[in-house]
Amino acid sequence: MEGISYQRFPKIKIREMKDEYLKFELRETDVSMANALRRIMIAEVPTIAIELVEIEVNSTVLNDEFLAHRLGLIPLTSDKAMGMRFSRDCDACDGDGQCEYCSVEFHLSVRCDQDQTLDVTSADLLTADPNVIPVDVANAARSTSFDSSENKGIIIVKLRRGQELRLRAIARKGIGKDHAKWSPTATVTFMYEPDIHINEDMMATLTLEEKQSWVESSPTKVFDIDPNTQQVIVVDPEAYTYDDEVIKKAEAMGKPGLVEITGREDSFIFTVESTGAVKASQIVLNAIEVLKQKLDAVRLSEDTEEADDQFGELGAHMRGG
Amino acid sequence: MEVPNNLQIDKQFLASPIKKAVDKFQLLPEFLKVRGLVKQHLDSYNYFVNTEIKKIIRANSLIQSSIDPETYIRYTNVKIGDPSIEIDHSVDNLTPHRCRLSDTTYAAPILVDITYTKGMKEKREIKQKINVIIGRMPVMLRSCRCVLTGKDEAELARLGECPLDPGGYFIVKGTEKVILIQEQLSKNRIIIETDKKGHLVASVTSSTEATKSKTVILMDKEKIFLQLNAFPKPVPIMVVMKAMGIESDQEVVQMVGRDPRYAALLLPSIQECATENIFNQQQALEYLDNKVKKFAFSNVNQEGRALSILRDVFLANVPVREQNFRPKCIYAAVMLRRMMDAILNKDAIDDKDYVGNKRLELSGQLISLLFEDLFKTMNGEVKKQMDLALTKNLARSFDNSNYLTRDSITQGLERALSTGNWDLKRFKMHRKGMTQVLARLSFIASVGHMTKVSPQFEKSRKVSGPRALQPSQWGMLCPCDTPEGEACGLVKNLALMTHVTTDEEEGPLISLCHSLGVEGLELLSAEELHTPNSFLVIFNGLILGKHRQPQRFATNMRKLRRAGKIGEFVSVYVNDKQCCVYIASDGGRVCRPLVIADKGISRIKEHHMQEMRDGVRTFNDFLREGLIEYLDVNEQNNALIALYEGEPKEDITHIEIEPFTILGVCAGLIPFPHHNQSPRNTYQCAMGKQAMGNIAYNQLSRMDSLLYLLVYPQRPLLTTRTIELVGYDKLGAGQNATVAVMSYSGYDIEDAIVMNKSSLDRGFGRCIVLKKSVAILQKYGNNTQDRIRRPDRKGVDHHKMKVLDEDGIAAPGEIIRPYDIYVHKEVPMNTKDNSQNIQFKPSHQTYKGAKGETAVIDRVALSSDVNNNLCIKFQIRHTRRPEVGDKFSSRHGQKGVCGTIVQQEDFPFSERGICPDLIMNPHGFPSRMTIGKMIELLGGKAGVSCGRFHYGSAFGEPSGHADTVEAISKTLVDKGFSYNGKDFLYSGITGSPLQAYIFMGPIYYQKLKHMVLDKMHARGRGPRVMLTRQPTEGRSRDGGLRLGEMERDCLIAYGASMLIYERLMISSDPFEVQVCRVCGLLGYYNHKLKTGICSSCKNGENISKMKLPYACKLLFQELQSMNIVPRLKLTEA
Repeated sequence: MEGISYQRFPKIKIREMKDEYLKFELRETDVSMANALRRIMIAEVPTIAIELVEIEVNSTVLNDEFLAHRLGLIPLTSDKAMGMRFSRDCDACDGDGQCEYCSVEFHLSVRCDQDQTLDVTSADLLTADPNVIPVDVANAARSTSFDSSENKGIIIVKLRRGQELRLRAIARKGIGKDHAKWSPTATVTFMYEPDIHINEDMMATLTLEEKQSWVESSPTKVFDIDPNTQQVIVVDPEAYTYDDEVIKKAEAMGKPGLVEITGREDSFIFTVESTGAVKASQIVLNAIEVLKQKLDAVRLSEDTEEADDQFGELGAHMRGG
Repeated sequence: MEVPNNLQIDKQFLASPIKKAVDKFQLLPEFLKVRGLVKQHLDSYNYFVNTEIKKIIRANSLIQSSIDPETYIRYTNVKIGDPSIEIDHSVDNLTPHRCRLSDTTYAAPILVDITYTKGMKEKREIKQKINVIIGRMPVMLRSCRCVLTGKDEAELARLGECPLDPGGYFIVKGTEKVILIQEQLSKNRIIIETDKKGHLVASVTSSTEATKSKTVILMDKEKIFLQLNAFPKPVPIMVVMKAMGIESDQEVVQMVGRDPRYAALLLPSIQECATENIFNQQQALEYLDNKVKKFAFSNVNQEGRALSILRDVFLANVPVREQNFRPKCIYAAVMLRRMMDAILNKDAIDDKDYVGNKRLELSGQLISLLFEDLFKTMNGEVKKQMDLALTKNLARSFDNSNYLTRDSITQGLERALSTGNWDLKRFKMHRKGMTQVLARLSFIASVGHMTKVSPQFEKSRKVSGPRALQPSQWGMLCPCDTPEGEACGLVKNLALMTHVTTDEEEGPLISLCHSLGVEGLELLSAEELHTPNSFLVIFNGLILGKHRQPQRFATNMRKLRRAGKIGEFVSVYVNDKQCCVYIASDGGRVCRPLVIADKGISRIKEHHMQEMRDGVRTFNDFLREGLIEYLDVNEQNNALIALYEGEPKEDITHIEIEPFTILGVCAGLIPFPHHNQSPRNTYQCAMGKQAMGNIAYNQLSRMDSLLYLLVYPQRPLLTTRTIELVGYDKLGAGQNATVAVMSYSGYDIEDAIVMNKSSLDRGFGRCIVLKKSVAILQKYGNNTQDRIRRPDRKGVDHHKMKVLDEDGIAAPGEIIRPYDIYVHKEVPMNTKDNSQNIQFKPSHQTYKGAKGETAVIDRVALSSDVNNNLCIKFQIRHTRRPEVGDKFSSRHGQKGVCGTIVQQEDFPFSERGICPDLIMNPHGFPSRMTIGKMIELLGGKAGVSCGRFHYGSAFGEPSGHADTVEAISKTLVDKGFSYNGKDFLYSGITGSPLQAYIFMGPIYYQKLKHMVLDKMHARGRGPRVMLTRQPTEGRSRDGGLRLGEMERDCLIAYGASMLIYERLMISSDPFEVQVCRVCGLLGYYNHKLKTGICSSCKNGENISKMKLPYACKLLFQELQSMNIVPRLKLTEA
């Protein structure tokens, strides 16, 4: 087992970064790592979401469970989620889940006294903790433009005259594995970076029309024809969806091998879209943190120490030796 | 140069752009706007309420005492009032929703005006009364007497009614009842068929107001006989003809027709008549008198009875005026002629299953029969009471009008509607199951229920004929929508545009026919009847006469109809084979609107459609101006109907409005049904009715006994025109799920589907189940009544009373668990006598639900029931998320249960980040051949990516009501997808790409009402039946799971005797018995002596203990009780 080292040093290159959107390259690692990261982002990065709803008055058209479900799905800003405790292992409140370390309390009290229908939105959810508020409210506060008509918040229910909704809700920390409402991500996906090799010699044998039709056979805009040289060039390799259309087209034109496309197995292009609960970039960092914690849990568990004797070097390796 | 002039014009004509066919689809929404979905029911009921009831009253207007004919009551007018109820002598207007909630009948008073006599003899006065109530008539919703007619959406909402609800049903004692459309063979028509013995038979089922009879003319051994119920045996037809006054054989032959073949066929019958020595009417009548059925009790002279039978029973639909039997003779001759045609040419046999030979009986007709019967019964009662008063001379100044009671009619109607049994002795009608509770499982189920046509035959008949799809059903009855199993093909559903006619006044039409050149029968000799080129004119089954230019006559009639001079539903049908013109104006015929075309060119032009779009032209205008007309099944045979405009045929007379209207409401929901294997569409028609969704806009204010609602119902991404027309897009029953067609995890075999847990978390397939339970506070004879006590917060049961309010009734919003008490009710121990302090005993009502599930009290309503008892209704709500085993289905007859639920991170994903909601196994496709589902997926995917709802109406591609696959593929490619709908996916578990491209896109999925939670059942120990001490049966009784005979057989064959012993005895009903070794009978165990004793040997010396199934011991004792002695012989074991 000497000589060959499988140790690698993954690199990340950020391509595009917004609050709720992140696109980055992950290189020099393999699928298992990329997928682990993706899975953790979806299911194990903690956020805060409403978990318990105590309804005082509900004369709306929607029933209590319906409202509770809707409230739960409202994303709350959860930057402090990593530092919070899970209410199940909170010592301060003996798992009661009502203390400041593991929960945030919300109140909602709306009554409609007008003839128009009144929308109860996430903006009506009031809390004492300025760090945990519905994300759209947070966005509205941050944005400088005053188009409040555009962003009225997430509608919870509509009221007509005389209807009232009064409730207390408790938000807690949780992970997406337990319920999708705790998942910080809207979309997390990665793709293999495509490696496109055009056989220029063979391409040169094609007429312009043939090139044109070949280029157009791809449903996404991967290739184009250089207007000057009339050569086929790769415009956007990442637009390629591995649909094989161009390869099939080439075969149909009697030119198999015109283009060779392979996925590079050690580099991935990640796209992370956030619900707004946590910034997209923070999701990735949190995910890495969670992954590290998980690995630590394995590394530092007593079973692993015991296994030292059996596996010797491997055990030491796992502990970072 | 020297091109002839006309050729040049041709060239120009050819070069001009082809005129685009007029888009006639817009007619459909317009049609449905004026018609609604259940116009047939409403029309029929309206006809009854406005016309038929007046006729009935007029026909029975006089009640005259048989003792003193001067004492009478005469009805002068009748009308139905507004729906109302009389409580404690105050009249209160009713709304349908109030009736539903308070378990009352939605009915309106039947008001009559009467003139009557008061007092007797000299003191008699003639008086008048108006608006006397003789009963209450249940009102059909949305009919002309209903408060909902003509109301707009806001007004309907105020009345608590859903604007999309089609009406057409009744509310009887709070339950919604539909009178099913009854299919019957038409009355008063000649039908040629073969009977069970293979004889050729011409039969007429006559039905008039006065009598009903069946006349059969049959051919047996070359002779022709008449079969009537009044004659025990068939009588020779020639004798009958002679008895009706046609004494000359020649005249009979002439009447039948001069073709020598007819004469040859008649010859044996004529000969027989001669051998019987019957030559004149007198002899014939004498002969028939002897054949008349003899009554056991009456010694009345049989003489003259034959004549009255011939007059009243034989062909009762043909009237005999002033002893003129000639019309009847001609009718019989025509029957003979038709029969002989059938003998000579087998094609002339009528098809009983042909839709043109069918009549649909609707609610109006059925209620009218019921009302007539009840009205006559009431009149009889009144007469009896009048006579009684007169004979007893009781009241010198008695008021006749007081005898008019309300209850008999009200209760009779109510009973018939709520039980569905039409038992009318007067009309020899005993039918069961005429009404059904309106299915409120989903919106489509209730609409579908109203278009259901139920057959008249019993369902067990093993015949294929009536079950087969008839070509004449085209456009009238849905080819897809029929149940599976025993009623397959017998129960049918109306197509989207079908209308069922109501009766129309006959008199004016008959005189119109005569003025259009029909030569009356009186004027015709027998010879002239069947002259070549002249056709018989038959009006509603009655021979009017003949016409020499039948085509012209038919054209004239049709022109008059198109001009609106005669009713739009009168049908004119020229039958060239039978040389007859059939004119029909009777009720119950199915018909449908078609665009009229002249030589293949539609009469509807673009400007007409433009006017309609602008709202200045309605469907009725089209009808009135002769652009559209209704054709019934028979008249369709005279028309050449083109599917689309522009077919190059000269003789096209009509053009279809839209081809998808051949389907009904349920089949109309299926996208691209014309790409599916036909049974799949039939399956979907059945399943669409079980899908959960929204029921109506007023669903939350209803109090149904069981209601399934979807939490987030959606409108299908792939819609059809029918969906928009019936309102399914507003009251959907399903959700658009992103489906990946691939195999995953192995938990997807046998049509199971794999679901995404995150989708379920977000509300996919979540449903609400609302169940009603009722508590009634009974009143008893001794002035006692059930009572409700306030809950005892400290008592033994206090933990079960948590949901109770201080008034002892459960509070809305409380979470209720199994065994919780929701009414703290107490009943008096003594309900017999009036003793002073009566003790009460508790009679709690507890919630029985699944353990571990939490339900919530949704609503509590208090009302009074029919007997004026306080009635408390509880609606208990349970929200459920999908779990493994719940049943789902797409709209293509592809049902499957949820096989497993998988975390989102394990689900496959595309590089766009799309992750499916559910995964369906591709093995579902090859054998089912549901191509429509694949196109739905493609279309749905194109729809979500371009933001436009795509269409998939049946046969809609040519007319643009369905998107073509080419167009869809183009959209997909434009949006960066593969044209074939397949995506490149990565495995969520490993992150590596999947080996194949996955067909993925949105498909509308329905959640069906079958859920594991309602079916799951297992038990270890549990309740037993008292009698046999064996475990109870069935889930509702927490029963055991039976090890049946066949399972037992397997165990025997395997030799697992101990297992059999354990299953059939130890775990079932073991019982220890004392058996006497001497006599072999069962003894008993004496607890004092601690020994077993044999009661027949009177000692305990030879007693053995053994185990038996209790059922076995029971059998022995039962045998002994009937003097059979079973003895056990014991051996050492």
